[in-house]
Amino acid sequence: METSPLIWLRAEYHLPALSSCRVPMTSITSARALPTPGPATVRLALIRTGIEVFGMAYVESVLFPLITALPLHIRPPERVALTPHVLHAYKIEDKTQQQSCAPISREMAHTEGPLTLYLHLPIPMQDRFRLLLQMIGYWGQAHSLACCTRIEQGSPPLEECLTPLRLFKAQASLRPFFSSLLSEFRDTTLCWHDVMPLLGNPSPNPLRLEIYVWPLVTVMHHGSGRLLLRQPFTLPQEAATPT
Amino acid sequence: MNESHTSSIYEVSWSLRVAWQAQSISNAGSNGSNRLLPRRQLLACGTETDACSGNIAKHFHAALLAEYLEAAGCPLCPACKVRDGRRAAALTDQPEYKNLTIEQVVRDCGLCDTHGFLVTAKNAGSSGTTEARQRLSKHSLIEFSFALALPERHAETLQLMTRVGDSKDEGQMLMKMSARSGEYALCIRYKCAGIGLDTDKWKLVMDDEQERGRRHRAILTALRDCLLSPGGALTATMLPHLTGLRGAMVVCPSTGRAPIYSPLQDDFITRLSALQSETCLVSPFETIDAFHLQMRHLIEHTLPALPAACLMSGTANDGSR
Repeated sequence: METSPLIWLRAEYHLPALSSCRVPMTSITSARALPTPGPATVRLALIRTGIEVFGMAYVESVLFPLITALPLHIRPPERVALTPHVLHAYKIEDKTQQQSCAPISREMAHTEGPLTLYLHLPIPMQDRFRLLLQMIGYWGQAHSLACCTRIEQGSPPLEECLTPLRLFKAQASLRPFFSSLLSEFRDTTLCWHDVMPLLGNPSPNPLRLEIYVWPLVTVMHHGSGRLLLRQPFTLPQEAATPT
Repeated sequence: MNESHTSSIYEVSWSLRVAWQAQSISNAGSNGSNRLLPRRQLLACGTETDACSGNIAKHFHAALLAEYLEAAGCPLCPACKVRDGRRAAALTDQPEYKNLTIEQVVRDCGLCDTHGFLVTAKNAGSSGTTEARQRLSKHSLIEFSFALALPERHAETLQLMTRVGDSKDEGQMLMKMSARSGEYALCIRYKCAGIGLDTDKWKLVMDDEQERGRRHRAILTALRDCLLSPGGALTATMLPHLTGLRGAMVVCPSTGRAPIYSPLQDDFITRLSALQSETCLVSPFETIDAFHLQMRHLIEHTLPALPAACLMSGTANDGSR
């Protein structure tokens, strides 16, 4: 990749309805939701949208190496409410072809305030990425609708962005920040066919799992739901009282 | 949009406030056999509100769409003909569909093309009795959010109903059913440019423009009916009263996302109207007849656009709009 000056691009998303990005490894029949999408979800969304806008060949040759390698940060919305929902799932038995219905649980999130992404990319690619970020219409599940409201230059406030636990260096006393397993691309040397496997050519998993911490603390429980409020990692503990 | 000719559109969204009275179209289940539980969602403002699942809206749209597609002479696969909710995935056990391809599914079934399907990947059995299968899927082109009641503007009444027990000995049993009323915020997005496409690769696999147009009209007609004649659970005895429909329709004529903004916000129509441009056409409406008129225009005067990736196949596209 040629060396060009880099900039931070900042994209804000309004989440107009409920969203549900499943915690990796949780069962589909009892799925916990993440307050925000993780880095792998963002990279995959950029690839998916890139194919829609620029075509497969261009994404494979030009955008893909950049998308897999670019540093990115995710700042959660100010408030996130998580509620588990009982849904009805239909299952067909392989042998008998009989249909049965079973209750499953899926957590859904409602948010207030924008979800913000920060991407560090070469200046010449800025326009392409502005278009890609503008075109992303959902995170995770297809009905987790999202609408890009603003794209501008801006550096990430790291104390308000989710971070891997291994890099967590908060100066304040540890508070009950939301934490969870999250998926990220395995490494920056992934090739196209690791992510877009060919027929009959199973590839190793392109994702790795890691524990992440969100700058969100639980401030309220309501029935089986809970409300999370964004608080910077560096906020002194006495200032971090629930509102 | 010009009234006199047909124009191409890439994507449409609706941000709506819909008022339903005495409805129970989406429920969380029952508490044993004596209480039907409504669906609830905690909002980020800290209040809990009534909710209706997007699954049920999508299911209702799919059922209506199947009828419209049949009436328009559009093909349906054997699974969709008998309204099997698995769609193309239900065909994989049949020998003639063993080597099912995305081209075959999209071309031969308007419902699988629109509402999507998922044939899961399968590893070969160790004994050699089962063959490996590649994942085959298409995302839905139409997406429904949960409908969320406006806080402070919804109510629930518990109606005491009687029902007959499982056996004669059990006699008559009492059950509480909730009838909910309120104004609900609902968002819908329809990516019409994806009709006839493999949307994983954004490759056109059905290049019959007339058929694409027929499917597009059927999708919009079914959507209009979904909103003007609401359906879902328990409509046999609790058909909702529709008492209002207002919001904004946003049309993207060329490659782009049609913005949606939460109708829980009081200024949602103003905020969306401020986005009006040549590439983002915003049409607010305040009544069901105004909505009907807008939908009629859309059905009669628009066709699904072709995505930029298809128009520029084989070459890099600069994505300019």
